[in-house]
Amino acid sequence: MTDRVTAGRPGPGGPAPGHREDGRPGPGGTAAGHPGTARSTTGHRTPSGSPAAPAPSPAAVRPGGRSGARARAGAAALLLAPFFVLFAVVMVLPIGYALWLSLFTEKQSGLGFGGTETVFSGLGNYTAALGDAAFREGFLVLLGYCLVYIPLLLAGGLGLALLLDSALARARRFFQLALFLPHAVPGIIAALIWVYLYTPQLSPVVKAMEAGGIGFDFFSPSGALPSVVNIALWEWLGYNMVIFYAALQAIDRSVLEAATVDGAGAWRTAFSIKLPLIRASVVMVALFTVIGSLQLFTEPLILNKGTGSAVTSTWTPNMYAYTAAFDRNDYGLAAAASVLLALTAALLSFAVTRLAGNREKKSKERKARKERTA
Amino acid sequence: MNRCRNRSTTAIAATVTALAVLTACGGGEDSAPEADGKPVTITFWGWAKGTKETVDAFNAAQKDIRVKFEEIPAGGAGGYAKISNAVKAGNAPDLVSIEYPSLPEFVSQGALKDIRLPEEVKGKLLPQAVELTTLGGKNWAVPFDAAPQAFYYRKDLFAKYGVEVPKTWDEFRAAAEKVRKADAKARIATFFPDDPTTFEAMVWQAGAQWFKAEGDTWKIDTTDAATEKVTGYWQDLLDKDLVHNDVSFSPEWTGSLKNDSTIGYLGASWGAGVLKGTLPEQSGKWAVAPMPSWDGKPASGMLGGSTFAVTKDSGHAEAAVEFATWMATTEQGVKARIGSGTSSAFPAATELRPVAKAAFDAGYYGGQDIYRLFDEAGTSIRGGWAWGPTTGTTNTTIKDQLGKVSDGSTTIADAVRAGHEATVAELRKRGLKVEG
Repeated sequence: MTDRVTAGRPGPGGPAPGHREDGRPGPGGTAAGHPGTARSTTGHRTPSGSPAAPAPSPAAVRPGGRSGARARAGAAALLLAPFFVLFAVVMVLPIGYALWLSLFTEKQSGLGFGGTETVFSGLGNYTAALGDAAFREGFLVLLGYCLVYIPLLLAGGLGLALLLDSALARARRFFQLALFLPHAVPGIIAALIWVYLYTPQLSPVVKAMEAGGIGFDFFSPSGALPSVVNIALWEWLGYNMVIFYAALQAIDRSVLEAATVDGAGAWRTAFSIKLPLIRASVVMVALFTVIGSLQLFTEPLILNKGTGSAVTSTWTPNMYAYTAAFDRNDYGLAAAASVLLALTAALLSFAVTRLAGNREKKSKERKARKERTA
Repeated sequence: MNRCRNRSTTAIAATVTALAVLTACGGGEDSAPEADGKPVTITFWGWAKGTKETVDAFNAAQKDIRVKFEEIPAGGAGGYAKISNAVKAGNAPDLVSIEYPSLPEFVSQGALKDIRLPEEVKGKLLPQAVELTTLGGKNWAVPFDAAPQAFYYRKDLFAKYGVEVPKTWDEFRAAAEKVRKADAKARIATFFPDDPTTFEAMVWQAGAQWFKAEGDTWKIDTTDAATEKVTGYWQDLLDKDLVHNDVSFSPEWTGSLKNDSTIGYLGASWGAGVLKGTLPEQSGKWAVAPMPSWDGKPASGMLGGSTFAVTKDSGHAEAAVEFATWMATTEQGVKARIGSGTSSAFPAATELRPVAKAAFDAGYYGGQDIYRLFDEAGTSIRGGWAWGPTTGTTNTTIKDQLGKVSDGSTTIADAVRAGHEATVAELRKRGLKVEG
């Protein structure tokens, strides 16, 4: 439920990668991009199909034209119907249901053994969630996670992409595939693999580290964040590298040639020419990762259940909602926490879209100004 | 006109369909075979060892009730979430396994049915077990096993290191030091940070009562002397590195048992079957001793233990109770489970202990009479302990905190305090009266 709710974040449309922490690429992100496109299509193509428009008298319209418009409207409706049905069933309905659930709480009487009574509690569940330190700490954990994870992801992804794009690279296809492969592993499996690799006494990695004199307990409180970040990096580094690499490939080769002719070395080309030219995709990846991080769930949950890891059952807001529903049987609180998380995601997405839009506008203006002065 | 007829035809069709569905849903409440002579079919969810064999034996023994068994993950590992979701969704099985600590939580959600256990059945069962399944004056489950605590140890290694089997907790600490001195890698036992119920059984054994119902008020008390004593004792064992700190039944735990770096296990009666199943190659090397106590006199808490409860929407409550009673209080039922070789359950039905003893192959423990030991431990289970209706919240909170004890970022005492506060807050949120 939580998942569906948060997947509804209105992400900026376009060919954006659906960066989802639960390891299922695509659908969430792209689905979120659709409503806008779909609506604009209806608006432009079938003006006469709109019920609000006064129906033109039959005589005024050529018979062929009218039936043509109708057919077109019919076709559009038919083609759009599956989307709207799915959108309503898997997006609007669950969100509505979560909102409804979040307004109620279960009360008991006596010693509590007489069953429960569902009562309307208004915003009671929201104040309970916000008043719970565990829920608020979840957002702090996310902040810490983003601060560690995103710089590493960007630096690693860019570094690898630049290496692959450089003239020195050999066996490009192979490395591209090899680096991308972890992304094909579902998040749950990735987390299980890593739990094995983190477990003292079992893990060859821990053994090797100990042999090298590095004792690090991945399950300790100080190891919680690094171990989750590491799993996420393993899953997403290759994926983002491919995005950067594609952007690098799209750079006009003549620019690079000009740079070479002007005497720029490989380093200079990479940092002064290539990086600024793919800034848009770097910014996009960063922003999408921030929003995707809000949904952090699968990997820490696996670490929480069945390992001695210090990752708590309320480590991220998503996990808080899960625990509230399934360990504490408090569906109202779980729904309220999910709605709050979804709101955060929506606000963040909105801010990000605006920010990206402004940035683009500014850079275009700058370009235009430069051209004018030239 | 045409349209009108059309509409009424549709309405009739809809009514007929709805009626058909309703009739199909409203199953009879009786356990007698249905009118057409077909047996009643009930569904049962559980995870305890030997359950499948027990169900097979029941199905083979009679024709009136067919039991469909579905194995689910252990309660704390997701089984309870599965059950409560199924009850909420209206597609729960008729009968479910629930351990004593979680029973009140399910009752308080209104997920179960009052099964009105007959006095003659109650009379056959350990009184402490009946007490734990009677809440608000109603019987909510058929108690299956009592789970007195027990200390399992490697008798070969104890002999090799010259360690006496401890009778008191002071002796246990001394023995722990001796074990570590003899082998720097070896520890006498393991602290399970993921399993608050093991710790709660220790507190129970020491005489604490965390949840007390007085009138219509819950009294939550985790600051008594007994709790403080147990908390301090275990904190000290961890601080001095005298016990391992590993997840229960995890690969780390099993691995350390296999390579002799853990040579004891503080568990309960059902643990005998677990050890036997986990470490078949160590047959003959293990022995069981009563749990060490504070004053040297036998005392025990209860660690886990299963009950069978009927879900609220079950249409075959009587059949379900009949099957549950068969599993818990008949010779065939107990024999089938323990004869499977994987279960060392200690029946709550007092008379059936000789049956259990005969069915359990104690060769693994060198022929030791472990059921006599469980019997003595069973009678030493302290009465008066009750579980509150918020064990989900209490135990999740304590578990989260215990996970942080390993590197000293919190203490067991703080973990218990956090559990206390979360429990009180949860009870208040539900509109119940709380003190504590």
